[in-house]
Amino acid sequence: MKIDLSTNLYFYFKWIIIISFVLYAIFPFLWLILASLKTNAELLDDPFKLPEVFQFKNYTEAIEAAGLIQLIINSLIISSSATFLNVLVSSMCAFAIARHIFWGNNVLFLMISSGILIPLNALIIPYYAIINYLHLYDTRTGLILVYCAVGLPVSTFILTEFFKSIPKEIEEASTLDGCNFVSRYFRIMLPLAIPGLMTAGTFQFILCWNEFIYAMLLTSSTEIRTIQFGISYFTNQFFSDYVGMFAALVVSILPSITVFILFQERVITGLTAGSVKG
Amino acid sequence: MKIKKDEIIWLILFITPAISLFLLFFIIPILFLFITSFTNWDGISADFVGLKNYAKLLNNKTFIRSIINNLYWCLTAAFITVPLALIIALLLAHRSRGWKVFRTILFIPQVVSSAAIALLWLALYNSEYGLVNYLLDYIGLSEYKDHNWLGSIRTAQPALIAFSLCYVGYFMVIMLAKTAGISEEYYDAATIDGASQFQKDLHITAPLIKSAFFLCIILAVIFNLRQFEFVYLMTNGGPANRTSVLVLYIWKELSIQRLGLGNAAGVIMIVIGAILLIIMRKILKSETYN
Repeated sequence: MKIDLSTNLYFYFKWIIIISFVLYAIFPFLWLILASLKTNAELLDDPFKLPEVFQFKNYTEAIEAAGLIQLIINSLIISSSATFLNVLVSSMCAFAIARHIFWGNNVLFLMISSGILIPLNALIIPYYAIINYLHLYDTRTGLILVYCAVGLPVSTFILTEFFKSIPKEIEEASTLDGCNFVSRYFRIMLPLAIPGLMTAGTFQFILCWNEFIYAMLLTSSTEIRTIQFGISYFTNQFFSDYVGMFAALVVSILPSITVFILFQERVITGLTAGSVKG
Repeated sequence: MKIKKDEIIWLILFITPAISLFLLFFIIPILFLFITSFTNWDGISADFVGLKNYAKLLNNKTFIRSIINNLYWCLTAAFITVPLALIIALLLAHRSRGWKVFRTILFIPQVVSSAAIALLWLALYNSEYGLVNYLLDYIGLSEYKDHNWLGSIRTAQPALIAFSLCYVGYFMVIMLAKTAGISEEYYDAATIDGASQFQKDLHITAPLIKSAFFLCIILAVIFNLRQFEFVYLMTNGGPANRTSVLVLYIWKELSIQRLGLGNAAGVIMIVIGAILLIIMRKILKSETYN
């Protein structure tokens, strides 16, 4: 009988903990969406009450006022180019070090993956100087290059581990059939490594999409500003138009959440892969 | 696979892009950071000043405050967020109905950018329309009705750290992934011995995900050493530099072109990171073998 009671207590304890953290994670977002559909007067009057009429025009106005379309397009261009470049560069390097024995392949692997542990934000001044020196300040290219480099250790790590897990026989057979180095990489290994490439790519894309400090450090003009850096201007742009700011915030958050919910297994493996193995 | 003579050239071509990026954005910046930290470089000229920058930093109250705050962030994450994540992971490991939905919801803050989260919590803490004060008033704590959480010296730092608990989902997912590999047989055997669910969680699941737990602590510390966005966007280090962190300090030195000094701060930050990593490895290693 005693066991039953404690089992019951544990059952309730479990659900109380889970539900309260779920609320903690999701409630702010729900409140944000609700608040973005009110008028400013309604918001200041009572932050909790449902609005009389849902103010969908907050959204059309906010998208206009913050130039959200341009910001999102910029982020898409920069994030996808950086992701493509990063996955290409790191998969080439990973292929070379995982599938071939040569002097220093392990040293190279350890060196590049140790970059994961360096707190890169300590390097903002050198990055600023290097990008200026290369005349890439305030250009998309500069930002793409930095993003590609910042994600290099994690991608190389994930992909090297992945390439190592592919059986040797496949590659040896293709060599006998006359495949050279380059076609082994493009025709044999890359197609086999698609799950690994997707994992590394997802990680890299989310990293670029959500990145803030380098965007602020290395760009200044509005034409190439990314969405995350754009968000930091909302408080000024909307000043006392709180609901407008909320609407803009909802629009900038929604793409990430939608993509996450659609591809959640992929995103979860992507964001935790580098860490679980390490 | 052994490399053939005629393929060496291709091998070199394949590793060159990665090596050049690594040199340009890892090796060179670190050397550059280290060298310029001994100069009074201001973007135009640089003279060697020896250890003056370091002496200046160690006598600077804001800088010391920034280090303490960084440690505050790291310790909160390691001793509160990660253990809480462990509890949730143990509970979700039962894989009872709907566990995937809970996992998804708890993970959402991780995919939203920190800039957006910062602005969202700025709104929640707002003293005019924010939800936090409204809820506190609602449950009877009316003295907080107009309290400016991020603006007052007493509450700014705790308020900043309190919302970082929403990142519990990330660590939870890492530990939860580890529980998937645990064989059912352990639990079946425990059931036969009459163990309760709580005993199973405590004596079977928890020890088996120990390595993931330690990994989470290391990640939590590394992430929080890099802390910048939240502080920059929510308080910008204020009030009276009470909430400043290392990266924000460097950022402010950069904006007034005291680059040598900023880089000395960067060197100290990297050294702190290395020391923390070494300490954690030592502690966690001895734990694993015991």
